[in-house]
Amino acid sequence: MVGMPSRHARLAVLAAAVAVLWGTPVLAQETVVVRVKLIQGEVPTDPTAPIWNTIPATEFPMSPQVHWPKRILQVTVKSIKVRGVHNTKQIAFLLEYADPTQDPADAAALEFMVGDKKAHFAHGQPMAQVEGGPVNIWYWRNDAPGAADMNAQGFGTLKKQAQQDVQAKGVWKDEKTKVRFKERKLIPRKDAKGESAKDPKTGDPLFDEETKVVEQDATGVWRVVFTRALTTTDPNDAQFQLGTFPNIAFAVWDGKKLESGDLKESGSQKAVTSWWYFNAEPPTNYSIYFYGLIAVVVAAGLEYVIIRKVRKGQPA
Amino acid sequence: MRGSSLAMKGAVLLVAVFVVFKFVAPLVTAPLPMSLIWLYLFLTTVGIVVYGTLSSESTEALLGPIFRFLGGDGLNGVAKFARLAVLVLVPLLVGGQTYSELVPSSQPPAENRTIHPAPPGEFVGLTNPVPNTPENVMMGKGLFAAFCSPCHGPKFNGNGPASDGFNPPPANFVDPGTIAQLQESYLFWRIKKGGVGLNVEGHPWKSAMPRWEVELPDDWIWKIIMAEYAGSGQKPGTWE
Ligand code: HEC
Repeated sequence: MVGMPSRHARLAVLAAAVAVLWGTPVLAQETVVVRVKLIQGEVPTDPTAPIWNTIPATEFPMSPQVHWPKRILQVTVKSIKVRGVHNTKQIAFLLEYADPTQDPADAAALEFMVGDKKAHFAHGQPMAQVEGGPVNIWYWRNDAPGAADMNAQGFGTLKKQAQQDVQAKGVWKDEKTKVRFKERKLIPRKDAKGESAKDPKTGDPLFDEETKVVEQDATGVWRVVFTRALTTTDPNDAQFQLGTFPNIAFAVWDGKKLESGDLKESGSQKAVTSWWYFNAEPPTNYSIYFYGLIAVVVAAGLEYVIIRKVRKGQPA
Repeated sequence: MRGSSLAMKGAVLLVAVFVVFKFVAPLVTAPLPMSLIWLYLFLTTVGIVVYGTLSSESTEALLGPIFRFLGGDGLNGVAKFARLAVLVLVPLLVGGQTYSELVPSSQPPAENRTIHPAPPGEFVGLTNPVPNTPENVMMGKGLFAAFCSPCHGPKFNGNGPASDGFNPPPANFVDPGTIAQLQESYLFWRIKKGGVGLNVEGHPWKSAMPRWEVELPDDWIWKIIMAEYAGSGQKPGTWE
């Protein structure tokens, strides 16, 4: 063919075009958002419903609650897997976590902000310079059927709402699983003579820190499903719009009875996270493709008009 | 030739504007949203057209080469292929841009949290009233181990056993970007008033940093501050 450019030149133009089209790199931030998938039909109220196997989970590490008294320094649940589905009317969240024993006082909760004001993740406690709002807490406990739909705005204000809109169901299975968490060790540093090394200035013993992600086998898994309508008539409730990114936080209690008779975890002694996000997938809006196509056609049409005009105007 | 140079200059200017805002600006600030970059490109284009169409001579200088390029007569080699690429790519770009403007975002809105917002006036310029003696530092380290190390870590680096569930994570005092830039007075504010004491730019609703004034007396806090600097090997920032 006459006038065909060299392969290299063509490749260069192509590469430039691809670079432009790919202008905005997509950041891998997936793990901070629970993807609540749109499904057809009823949302599953049963934690063992097969549809959950088709929904990707987002995993969140959990901390022992050390933010306010009464604190706890060690908790059973180190991380939690969260899945979500909705059908544009109802929303369901599935929490899945390893807990070796099934106990009556085992419990889990979800937390959301209510209204437009920001609320602190720790029970909507007051903030000094920002006017905060309340939080809506969905609470499930193994020995109580269903769920409690609750509100708080500050420590000690947690109460059950007059209007209950949340359902929950938990199923514990004696099943094998893996738990992934960060394990930290402080190893006393030894000097050349094999004795414990000391800071020359202060005389403090020196330690080295070893942090690694470990995967441990565990037996016993809780699966808890919370369901509610996306929007309710109760002004105390969090209301959810499709396609937005509301905040969500999690809490879990291992209600195992210790030899002392006390529960291992209860009240403020629990595993927690601070705020993350969820996103209820909006239905595919096909008109977007249509508008994109119209834009292509209009632009191509414009090119055609210009070229015709140019060719006509040129002396033959 | 003067003609081709004006159209060429315009093209080079547009590419330069794109490169600067897309790739150079993020080196010093947060990445600009694509919509803003398109706006700058649009304004630049308007500028070029206005400048180019001031006289009929310059109009020809600006548009002539573009029209001849689009018309395609007498082009060959790379130019011919480039024309084809432009003709195909421009509509696709316009379509893609329209689509991405309309499609709902799959990422949460960027929340630019200010890590070190200004402290309230009463916490500016305070000096540590506790003498910096080995005993006081030692007591501060003990208090730090008891109250702070679960989050900020026994080695002051933010890697505490209770740090994983919190977003933002507990501050790493060994990092030169935290307490080494701050004065003791600022730390006193942060420790006393906690995450909930931050102003709106600091996103107080997300911070797990406790409000220690409800649990620790002031002189303990001052001792902990000395221990934080000693333990992390940092020195307080100074007034410039
Ligand atoms: C529950 C976990 C937790 C505990 C316990 C905790 N902190 Fe924090 N701290 C945080 C988090 C999270 C941040 C980062 C967010 C913020 O700045 O509020 C932080 C930030 C700070 C900062 C601000 C550093 C900077 O660069 O702005 C200081 C100072 C601080 N902590 C000191 C302490 C001291 C001293 C203690 C013990 C008396 C303590 N913290 C206990 C979680 C904790």
